[in-house]
Amino acid sequence: MHIASGFLSPPVWGTMAAVSGAALAGSLVVAKRHLDERRVPLMGVMGAFIFAAQMVNFPVLPGTSGHLGGGFLLAILLGAPLGMVAMTSVLVVQALVFQDGGLEALGANIFGMGVVPCLLGAAVRGLWLRPRPGRLADILTFAAGALGLVVSATGVILMLWLSGTLPSAVSLAKAVLVMDSVHLLIGMVEGVVSVLVVRFVLATRREAVLGTVEPLGAGEAAA
Amino acid sequence: MTAYNRRTLIVGVAVALVIGGGVSYFASSAPDGLEKFQEDLGSAAPPHPTVEAPPIAFQEYNFTWLGEGFWANAVAGVVGSLIVLAILLLVGYALKCRRPPVPRGGSAGS
Repeated sequence: MHIASGFLSPPVWGTMAAVSGAALAGSLVVAKRHLDERRVPLMGVMGAFIFAAQMVNFPVLPGTSGHLGGGFLLAILLGAPLGMVAMTSVLVVQALVFQDGGLEALGANIFGMGVVPCLLGAAVRGLWLRPRPGRLADILTFAAGALGLVVSATGVILMLWLSGTLPSAVSLAKAVLVMDSVHLLIGMVEGVVSVLVVRFVLATRREAVLGTVEPLGAGEAAA
Repeated sequence: MTAYNRRTLIVGVAVALVIGGGVSYFASSAPDGLEKFQEDLGSAAPPHPTVEAPPIAFQEYNFTWLGEGFWANAVAGVVGSLIVLAILLLVGYALKCRRPPVPRGGSAGS
């Protein structure tokens, strides 16, 4: 759902750049406290993995494909601040090197694929810090992953609408319905993949996921 | 670098490169949800002035020197993944402030 260049009006992309810039700045400040020796390599390879995974478009409906967002998964494994840093890096490389997503739309794209899913990922991260995450963690993570794409898709439509670039053939409500239904399907894939990858990384790199310092780690005390 | 971190890097990078450099070639070429929405409803042409980075070596996730095809895509996937990795390692190690290790009671994940 990278917004291409030329579809957002200056007030809209300016606002989104300010919001995402503030979120990134805050993340960088807090990220320091989340970083430890084992998390830096994990952040690096997870960012590389998400870049790669985003290249794998899968069919969702006839003539329509989707790809993983990944911010949600990053925030579960790394916490929201490091997730934001990793996701922003992916989106910046995509925009600067691969012309994927407009440069002026970068803030909007960071918001939709970074800020929103990272907040949702942070919301379920606690479930995975417990000693033995069960079915509840799977189900809530799946649901939150799917919800993230629907929320972001709605956000994209609202940004286009506020920019006056929504296709004139369609009402706002219809546009939201069309985008949300496609992205619910993509989100369900996001949810399933997120659960599988979280389980794999937890099984193999639990210490790096938990970290030695977890400011918000209520679940960690039990570990 | 500890063996733990070396292993994280080796396995993680291997997985990323296989997916970005290999699996991604077999990805669907259909437009994604947003592109399809915009194409179907007739706003594919951007109404505002466009600001895009100039395509230097890559176009649509293909390495331009190799045209299109498996290897053009593979170079894009590998180079892109490694750039992201490099940025994050640099940012990560730059941010990691020096502080005494926090002793923990018991071993995590026992």
